[in-house]
Amino acid sequence: MAPPPTSQAIKSLYHNMLRSSQSFSSYNFREYFIRRTKDSFREMQAESDPTRLSTLYAAAQRESGVIRRSAIVNQLYRGPKLAVELQDKEVEAREMEGHALETGLERGNN
Amino acid sequence: MLARVSRNVARRANVTRSLCGARRTFVQPSGADRASVVDVPSTYQEDNHFAPRPDMLGFKLEAPQRNGSTAEQVRPIYLDMQATTPVDPRVLDAMLPYLTDQYGNPHSRTHAYGWEAEKAVEDARKNVADIIGADSKDIVFTSGATETNNMAIKGVARFHKEKKKHIITTQTEHKCVLDSCRKLSEEGLDITYLPVQKNGIIDLAELEAAIRPDTSLISIMAVNNETGVIQPLKEIGAIARKHRGVYFHTDAAQAVGKIPLDVNEMNIDLMSISGHKLYGPKGIGAAYVRRRPRVRLEPILSGGGQERGLRSGTLATALVVGIGEASRIAKLEMARDHARVKDLSDRLISKINEQVEHVVRNGDLKGYPGCVNLSFAYVEGESLLMALKDIALSSGSACTSASLEPSYVLRALGAAEDMAHSSLRFGIGRFTTEAEIDFVVDKIVATVNRLREMSPLWEMVQEGIDLSTINWSQH
Repeated sequence: MAPPPTSQAIKSLYHNMLRSSQSFSSYNFREYFIRRTKDSFREMQAESDPTRLSTLYAAAQRESGVIRRSAIVNQLYRGPKLAVELQDKEVEAREMEGHALETGLERGNN
Repeated sequence: MLARVSRNVARRANVTRSLCGARRTFVQPSGADRASVVDVPSTYQEDNHFAPRPDMLGFKLEAPQRNGSTAEQVRPIYLDMQATTPVDPRVLDAMLPYLTDQYGNPHSRTHAYGWEAEKAVEDARKNVADIIGADSKDIVFTSGATETNNMAIKGVARFHKEKKKHIITTQTEHKCVLDSCRKLSEEGLDITYLPVQKNGIIDLAELEAAIRPDTSLISIMAVNNETGVIQPLKEIGAIARKHRGVYFHTDAAQAVGKIPLDVNEMNIDLMSISGHKLYGPKGIGAAYVRRRPRVRLEPILSGGGQERGLRSGTLATALVVGIGEASRIAKLEMARDHARVKDLSDRLISKINEQVEHVVRNGDLKGYPGCVNLSFAYVEGESLLMALKDIALSSGSACTSASLEPSYVLRALGAAEDMAHSSLRFGIGRFTTEAEIDFVVDKIVATVNRLREMSPLWEMVQEGIDLSTINWSQH
C-alpha cells in the first residue's frame, strides 16, 4: 500500500491538472474539465480515510496525463469559437469600456 | 511617375476587359439598350448577394474555405445530443494508440500485434458489459445501434419463423426498428404496433393482451430519442418472462450511460447500444445477446465466425476501444452527469416558461431530463430553427430532419398536427454549460416573440378567437 499523498503533492497535481484543463481550445471541453478537476479535488480535500485518499490520488494522477495529452490534440485541431464565447467577450469589452468611462469621469470630477 | 503608373494600370485593365468581352461565354451579357436602373429589393442582403462576373463562364464558383481564417467564423452552440454526442477527449486518448502504433488484427492469434489488440478488445467488452450489468461474453460488437436493431429483430424473427409469426413493438420506436418490422411483415410475419398513452408510455395491460401464443419478440425502446420518455423496462421484462419463448429486445441507444440499466434485473434478452450516443466514436455499437437462457438468432452477416458467429468481420480495434472507454467513463460519471443534466434542463424549462406563454412540453415529465421536447404554439418549428442560426437544434430525429412532415412520435402521443409542427428538441449533455443554456433561452425567447408578432394566428389568439372554431376551407 502506497503511503497517503502529502497535501503538497495533491496541491501540485491540482495545479497541473487545472492548467492542462485550461489549455483546451474547445469551449465545452475546457469548461467541463475545469469544473471536473475542481470537483474531484474538493472531494479529495474532504476525504479523511487515507486508503481512499491514495486511490483517489492515483486515479487523478492517471487522469492528469490523459487530460494533458487530450488538450494538446484538441489544440492541434482547433476550430472557430462558439457563439457563446464571442458573446461573453463582447460583454466583457463593453464592461471594460464602461469602466474606462467611469474612471475618466472620476478624473474629470477631480 | 504616379500618373504614369495609374495610366498603365488603366490601360491594362482596359485590355483585360476587352479580352473578356471577346471570349465566348455561357452567359451572354445583355446590351446597354436593355439596361435599366432598378431599386435593390427590400430582401437584399449584402452577405448572400452574388453577382456573376464574365470570367465565371456562367458557373458559380465557390471561394475555397481556408482553415486559417477561423477568427471571424462562429460555431453554433450544440444542443442536439440525441443526434450524436461529441467524442470525449479521454475516449479519443484511449483510441489513438490503436490508430497509430498498435494496429494488429484482434483475431490474429500468432503474434504479439494480434494479442495486444485482442486484449484491448476484451477489456472494452468488459467495460461495455459492466455498464448494463451483463457478462462480457454476452456482448457482440456491431457497427451501431441500427445494425444491432436489425440483427436482433430480423435475427430472432427469422430463426423462429417456422413456429412463431408475431412481433410486438410500439408506434414510437426508432425508424430502423419500424422499418425492420415492415420488412418482416412483407415476409409474412404479423406485427403489432402498440399505441402509447398521452405521456408516451405504453399501457402494460395492452402489451399483455397483445401477446399471442406465436409471439417471438417484444421490441420496446428504453428512452425515446425525440421525447426522452423512459419506458417501464422492468415491468415489460417481467411480462415477457412470464410467457415462455417470448424474447424482450430493447433499443437502449439513448439510455445506456444516461440512466442505470441492468439486464438481469430488467429481464432483457437483447439490447442495442450505440457508441456515439455516449460520447464515443461513430461507427461502433454493441448488442447484448443473452446466453443463459440462450437467445438464438439468425446472423445477418456470414463469414469468419467472429463474435460468436453472430457478426462476422474483423473488429475495428480503435472503435471498440473507444466504446469501451466511453462506457467506463459513463459508468463512473453517471450520477454526476445526470445531476448536472437535470439542473441544466430545469434551468432551460423554467427560464423559457417564465418568458414565453403557450409552451407545451411533449412526453412524460419524469423522462430523461437531457431530452426536452417543447412545442411553441403558433410558431412553425422549422422557421424557428432557421431563424436561430447560432444554435444547432433539431425539431425531431436526425434521420427525418430533412423532411417537413411532422414527427410521427409526437403524432403517436396524440399531439395535434400544429403542435407537432411547432416542436423543438433540446438535447443537453455532459459538456453543456449554464452560459450556453442562458444564451439559447435569450435567442429562443426573442425569436419566438418576433415570429409570433408576424403571425396572424397569434393576433387572433390575442383577440380571444378560438382557432379550432374557425372553418378554414372557406375562402
